[in-house]
Amino acid sequence: MPRLADPQFAPDCTIVVDGDRVPARAGESVVSALLAAGRPLLGRSSKYHRPRGAFCLAGSCASCLMRVDGVPNVRACRAPCRDGLAVETQNALGSAAHDLLGAIDLLAPDGIDHHHLATWSQLANKIAVGASRQLAGLGQLPDRTPAPWPPAREERFDALVVGAGPAGLGAAESLARAGRRVLLAERERAAGGRLRCRLELPGDPPLRWAREVEAALGRAGGEVATAAAVLGVWPAHGEWQAAVVQGDERLRLARAPRLVLACGTWPLPPVFEGNDLPGIHGARGLAVALAEDGVVPGQRAAVLGDGTEAEGVARRLAGAGMAVERIAGGVARSRGRLRLTGLELESGRSVECDTLAVATARAPASELAREAGAALALDPETGAWWVRPGEAGAIAPGAFAAGELSGPCSAAEAAEAGRRAGEAAARG
Amino acid sequence: MAKTLLCACEDVTPADVRRAYDLGYRDLESVKRYTGAGTGPCQGKTCLALVVRELLRLGATPAEVTPFTVRPPLHPTPLGALASLDPEALSLESGVPPAGAAPRASRPSAPLPERAAVVILGGGIMGLGLAYNLCRRGVRDVVLLERGYLNAGASGRNGGGVRAQWTTPTMIRLARRSLEIGERFAAEMGINTWFRRGGYLFLAPTPQLVERIEKNAQLHASQGMRTRILAPAEAREVVPELDASRFLAAAWNPDDAVVFPWPFIWGYAGQAEALGARVLTFTQVTGFETEGRRIRAVRTDRGRIACGTVVNACGAWSPEIAALAGVKLPNHPERHEILVTEPLKPWLGPMVSVLGSGLYFSQSLRGEIVGGMGDPDEPPGIDMRSSLRFLARFSRAISACAPVTAGLKVMRQWAGCYDVTPDNNPILGAAGFENFLQLSGFVGHGFMMAPAVTELMAGWMAGDAPDEIFERFTLERFERGDTAGEDFIIG
Repeated sequence: MPRLADPQFAPDCTIVVDGDRVPARAGESVVSALLAAGRPLLGRSSKYHRPRGAFCLAGSCASCLMRVDGVPNVRACRAPCRDGLAVETQNALGSAAHDLLGAIDLLAPDGIDHHHLATWSQLANKIAVGASRQLAGLGQLPDRTPAPWPPAREERFDALVVGAGPAGLGAAESLARAGRRVLLAERERAAGGRLRCRLELPGDPPLRWAREVEAALGRAGGEVATAAAVLGVWPAHGEWQAAVVQGDERLRLARAPRLVLACGTWPLPPVFEGNDLPGIHGARGLAVALAEDGVVPGQRAAVLGDGTEAEGVARRLAGAGMAVERIAGGVARSRGRLRLTGLELESGRSVECDTLAVATARAPASELAREAGAALALDPETGAWWVRPGEAGAIAPGAFAAGELSGPCSAAEAAEAGRRAGEAAARG
Repeated sequence: MAKTLLCACEDVTPADVRRAYDLGYRDLESVKRYTGAGTGPCQGKTCLALVVRELLRLGATPAEVTPFTVRPPLHPTPLGALASLDPEALSLESGVPPAGAAPRASRPSAPLPERAAVVILGGGIMGLGLAYNLCRRGVRDVVLLERGYLNAGASGRNGGGVRAQWTTPTMIRLARRSLEIGERFAAEMGINTWFRRGGYLFLAPTPQLVERIEKNAQLHASQGMRTRILAPAEAREVVPELDASRFLAAAWNPDDAVVFPWPFIWGYAGQAEALGARVLTFTQVTGFETEGRRIRAVRTDRGRIACGTVVNACGAWSPEIAALAGVKLPNHPERHEILVTEPLKPWLGPMVSVLGSGLYFSQSLRGEIVGGMGDPDEPPGIDMRSSLRFLARFSRAISACAPVTAGLKVMRQWAGCYDVTPDNNPILGAAGFENFLQLSGFVGHGFMMAPAVTELMAGWMAGDAPDEIFERFTLERFERGDTAGEDFIIG
């Protein structure tokens, strides 16, 4: 059962993957289409040619790079499907399933120290350098020169809010209420952040709130920009200047005196042998693919993590007909060659599964906050450096942070922190 | 499936992190460079916390695991998209990260020695190359002080080009010696530098510049070099992706090379230490104790070192350091920005440079396009922030030169500082004090000159007759007005 039976999830187009026709829904991500088709193997890794599949499903990791429509190294979890779209796996000699260069991984079980590879003679070194050049790189040069992009438009707003999850929605709503013109930039194709998982945990705001905020923003002259990736925030003339790539169509240069960062978190891979096998996914990304694209990634799922989110994801996957087992921790290694077939726990027990949903610790998407000069605090347990904001989320003059950037919190708490940061930004 | 991956972009395992840690590369900036974790398409979003966790497990301190500097753009972005920005509307003043972000304190545990025959200031390729070459010449009581991590300065921030296409016999001689050393470096020093003779292709877009490269080619021929002048169609045989309408002729030398800069630093540092030199990172010079015409001791934030000779090899920071001894140098720092794209299978052979614009780009052994371009409006001063204006200028220039690059995605941008002198030639030898030697002023080509120059400098310090460079490139030449400028500077 690759998809939920609901007719809204019925495929309506076909993409072509390494020459195979794969049913898809127009607009869903290439990864959603491939997971629904039972094809989690997307390519091979850079150095050891290990099988690669989409881990985060959220545009943060780069495990899902594929050649899409003649363009190399495209995040397949971001690339929308359309009829006839050509998709190719990358970095394999032969095919992704039968990659002769996979031998590198097998022949070097302890890895290769490339700094000292073939340094014993000049001739050997010259040969090794020549071979390395041929092996390096992921995708091939693009097929064609792209059409020129339209000139970037410079735009002024009263405030920029980055991230349309609960915290960003809360901040944008406060700012709009105070009559401020807001650009709310969201990297994903829709606003809502973790609310899009539809876990409906106690206290969660409803997802329709995102539409209400969008309407409020519009009334105040602002907007929600989706599929809009903020490339950086540069201080300029006492204001914040953000370069925002929206879809594949245009680049916007947005300036505002106020900046609210509500960028949330990136999922972290679990740490055990074979933690990079296709079939291991971030739980939130999996929940969104299930809720919005009806993707049922396999028959048997293990859910790693012990919080309410892990519980919610387990419930959703079980509701989709998967056999689900919850694991609190202590995974020793994964099993499977090209995709996950099971887990061996430190207790010695084995778990049969084709999918692992990872709902353990996450790390803050702190890049923009660090650019803006925010203070950080280390959590030695997880290795995460959380943003440490001051009063009402202040991280720098005219800049605020809210939500999960400064540590794990519920969606309701994030929304409240966002509201406070938005109010402070509206006052300042 | 026995491997555990901490960084799935670059296939970095806990064993890789341990190897770096055991070699003394314990701070996250160094671990990033040595292991590659965080340098791939996700730029550390997924691996940062996992590597931090692993380093803490190995015994690193919280200061050592301070996150590495964020590098825009945050998401791989096509050069063609960035070319849609109007650079004139963007200020050079606005850069990230904010000013004041300096190398993090990561205290070395080794105590400072009380005295040393030679104290070298600056752990870039000049200082480390000199330390290594002095050791080889038997001068082993050498201490090198670096205020940050190795590779923090221009030596770790440049494009890795090594070319013999210069405009004077002296520079050609030095560069060719560096090429020879570079070719053997991996085997002799035991660390890969990924030296590759892909050639240098200089594109001349104006009749004046064509005249220049033709004159250069004659000089090169007289020096036994293989430089040829190519018509645009011939240049396209070397790089088919070039837009032939953008230039009138090209200078092509197939023997020029590109390397990966960081291992030169690790190699020189490692071998110098193996021969007895001490390389002390995260140690900042705060002043000098002088007596008459000599410097008696170097003061640092960790104590003082009495010294026989002091060498100032601080690159862009050289004037600042010399000023601590009351010596005024005429050089000034100037920011130059650079970027790297997504990794691609090999398609570009040579380093390509467009004369007059400063644009240069090549393909690294990792498959990325590495390229930079100076900005004529860049004000003097130490500044290592990354600007949006550079992204706009560079992307316009490279996509005009080789249109297909408009589809390549930028992964990371950064900046470093050139150490610029009034005549674009270095400053070598004593200045102000008889035992205060300068080894600075290399104007963006210090990396490629260092292997040859540090070999000569060590020989001279060990008693060899001075090479002519130590007579020509003195500080006094500026007072005498005896300067013949070098103008074949790119970047």
